[in-house]
Amino acid sequence: MDSAELLQRESFVEKNARQRVQYLLDAASLRELLDPFERLSSPWLPLQDIVTQADDGVVIARGTIDGVAVVVAAIEPAFQGGSMGEVGGAKIAGALELALEDARASKPVVPVLLLETGSVRLQEANCGLAAIAEIHAAIVALRQHVPVVGVISGPVGCFGGMSIAAGLCSTLIATREARLGLNGPQVIEQEAGVDEFDSRDRPMIWSLTGGAQRHATHLVDTLCDDDSADIRTAIAGAVARPVGNLARTQAVDAHLERLRALDTGRRADAEWAREVMAEEIHGSGEGS
Amino acid sequence: MTQRQWTTRRDDKQARMGQVAPWLTGKQLPAERITDALYALIAPGDRVIAEGNNQKQADFLSRALAELDPERVHDLHMIQPSVGRPEHLAVFEKGIARKLDFAFSGTQSHRIGALMMDGTIEVGAIHTYIELYARLFVDLIPKVVLTAAFKADRDGNLYTGPSTEDTPALVEAAAFSGGIVIAQANEIVDDVSQLDRVDIPGSWVDVVVQADKPFYIEPLFTRDPRHITDVQIFMAMMALKGIYAEHGVQSLNHGIGFNTAAIELLLPTYGEKLGLRGQIVKNWVLNPHPTLIPAIESGWVETVHCFGTELGMENYVAARPDVFFTGADGSLRSNRAFCQLAGHYAADMFIGSTLQMDGDGNSSTVTTSRVSGFGGAPNLGCDARGRRHATPAWADLAPSADPMARGRKLVVQMVETFQAGLKPTFVDRLDAVTVAEKAGLDLAPVMVYGDDTTHLLTEEGLAYLYKAESLEERRAMIAAVAGVTPLGLSADAATTKRLREQDKVRTPEDLGVSRTEATRAQLAASSIADLVDWSGGLYEPPARFRSW
Repeated sequence: MDSAELLQRESFVEKNARQRVQYLLDAASLRELLDPFERLSSPWLPLQDIVTQADDGVVIARGTIDGVAVVVAAIEPAFQGGSMGEVGGAKIAGALELALEDARASKPVVPVLLLETGSVRLQEANCGLAAIAEIHAAIVALRQHVPVVGVISGPVGCFGGMSIAAGLCSTLIATREARLGLNGPQVIEQEAGVDEFDSRDRPMIWSLTGGAQRHATHLVDTLCDDDSADIRTAIAGAVARPVGNLARTQAVDAHLERLRALDTGRRADAEWAREVMAEEIHGSGEGS
Repeated sequence: MTQRQWTTRRDDKQARMGQVAPWLTGKQLPAERITDALYALIAPGDRVIAEGNNQKQADFLSRALAELDPERVHDLHMIQPSVGRPEHLAVFEKGIARKLDFAFSGTQSHRIGALMMDGTIEVGAIHTYIELYARLFVDLIPKVVLTAAFKADRDGNLYTGPSTEDTPALVEAAAFSGGIVIAQANEIVDDVSQLDRVDIPGSWVDVVVQADKPFYIEPLFTRDPRHITDVQIFMAMMALKGIYAEHGVQSLNHGIGFNTAAIELLLPTYGEKLGLRGQIVKNWVLNPHPTLIPAIESGWVETVHCFGTELGMENYVAARPDVFFTGADGSLRSNRAFCQLAGHYAADMFIGSTLQMDGDGNSSTVTTSRVSGFGGAPNLGCDARGRRHATPAWADLAPSADPMARGRKLVVQMVETFQAGLKPTFVDRLDAVTVAEKAGLDLAPVMVYGDDTTHLLTEEGLAYLYKAESLEERRAMIAAVAGVTPLGLSADAATTKRLREQDKVRTPEDLGVSRTEATRAQLAASSIADLVDWSGGLYEPPARFRSW
């Protein structure tokens, strides 16, 4: 890439949630649902002296991407680490449930989830977890009707219950700076000890949970540069794809068989994970 | 009449070297003999340099030094450009050394502060680099120099390569004054033909020893663009318009903070928009900052001379020999002494940051809990009164058109009005004054004096301090840009208005810099990964800066 191209490249990571939505949707098609002027903010954060945000860190918007009707749910990484609270979580779950009603009424709306989240907001605990469960259920129901597209651009990554949501998506798009994992590095270090997992060893962490590794092991479908145009192209392709043999989480038996065959005494590294996961496991496509 | 002996230093050296001679092959000492050799070569009360550069550390030798028995070796006077390793302080705690002259303490700044306060370390002075080198040839002539190289041969030739840094200045002071030079090397080869190049001739070196592990080197100058804030970008835009373009700055040194990293990353974008490419910032005295890569690649930078290197930049620098000073082997040759001289005499501008500034404009990074030293900031950040050449930027600061009027180096302090934790940057009295009292220093450790500071830039505005016609006016100009700190709140509105009318103080609005334009989208690179892309894959960032 020469200097002119580098200067023109527009980072997706640098955009905030609302700018990402504005960038992705076709011009003039954007209609934000429950926008900041609705003042729907967390009732729990003020009790803990934390300043709220008028959209609770989640932007929901209807519109089109290259003419395809979509609903985009974008999590704002800069607000409370992209954590899922009661209100923000309910906004996503509600949007997905509306999309499900539309899909059942033969008015397909494709959900696009921009997942920059450490998962549940600890200050809101169960309320956030409940919303995450609703998100999971909605994705599973929706993907029978429409593709459900997840995007992890980084550098927050996607962890905890929301990493399960990412796994449930029919198409998952990531950059190499993104990370996808059930537990974040500090949590693993705290539980397993620094000898097992050093959360400061950045190359090791990315080698196991980074976008490139997740792509090589077929847990991510499309690997993009942090280039807004590339990411939009990948999303546009995914939302237009027909529903088919897509959901990897449906192939439960094949995954379990693979897990059972693992030598759990062996220390996992990136190479070995790629070996074990070399073959892509497809879903059955017969519904969940 | 007794005949005076004229060779006592040389005789003493020969006597000490005589004790280690049986262990040497050529000049190579077996590593397991290092402790015996140090007992033979170092005597109580010696002045010893443990190479302590900004980055490269002769750590195998300094660890061995710290293991000596203080009954046998004590009262050493340590001279170190940089005190960067725990063992550098252990020699004081154990009583091996007593006195210290240094310039920078970086990672050890908290501990060194405590040891100064409780009297464990008697400090000669906290120098600027070239001042410390200069004294090595006058009243701090070293007896022993412990130095470090990437490679050595058995005749003592050293390859210090990109990390040459302070080595020539330190070694020369001992090699030609009857001192003893001991070099650790990551690798020892048989013959000079196996060295990439010779940075230090073998005849200057007395002993080489293979280190147990490669010398420690610290990536000090890598600033991850991810952490640059909108406020820093805002100030960088003000700097480019109100200082760089205003005075036509051609040659310069940047401090190591995020403020100046922002300026480097704004050159190809905002600077280009202002039409400044080819007009300003052609010649740099600077470590190879990764954040300078986009400006180099887009044609802003003609030359860079380096104090030291930066980890990960080796291949990039080697591939840009028109820009960087490189040896016949292709790798960077850094030299802190020459680079500091260049920054003192040949640069139009120094721009840096500080932790505290008083109402008169004196600034320091020393606080009651932290004595970091200033490295080169005091000589970079002052007017070179001996200077006898004019450049447009220098001449632009002359107070009048009088033929005897001299220009000035631009010395710019770029600070936010509050530090982390909402501590005001502007204070009544510098902590440095308190530290000097407690540690018994002759001079308060001031980094840049107020009368040397020509420009003060905050997020509130830009004060052209060199235009102040009195000390009182300088104070008013500083207060005018000090925001809502106690000093800023003391500013008189009518005075500030007059200063703006006289162009002595400019607000962002006066400069035509818009707050809403100051976003991270202005940065030519917003992450370390972007810098790698700009370098065409030549820059290889250290692991701790990678997020992929």
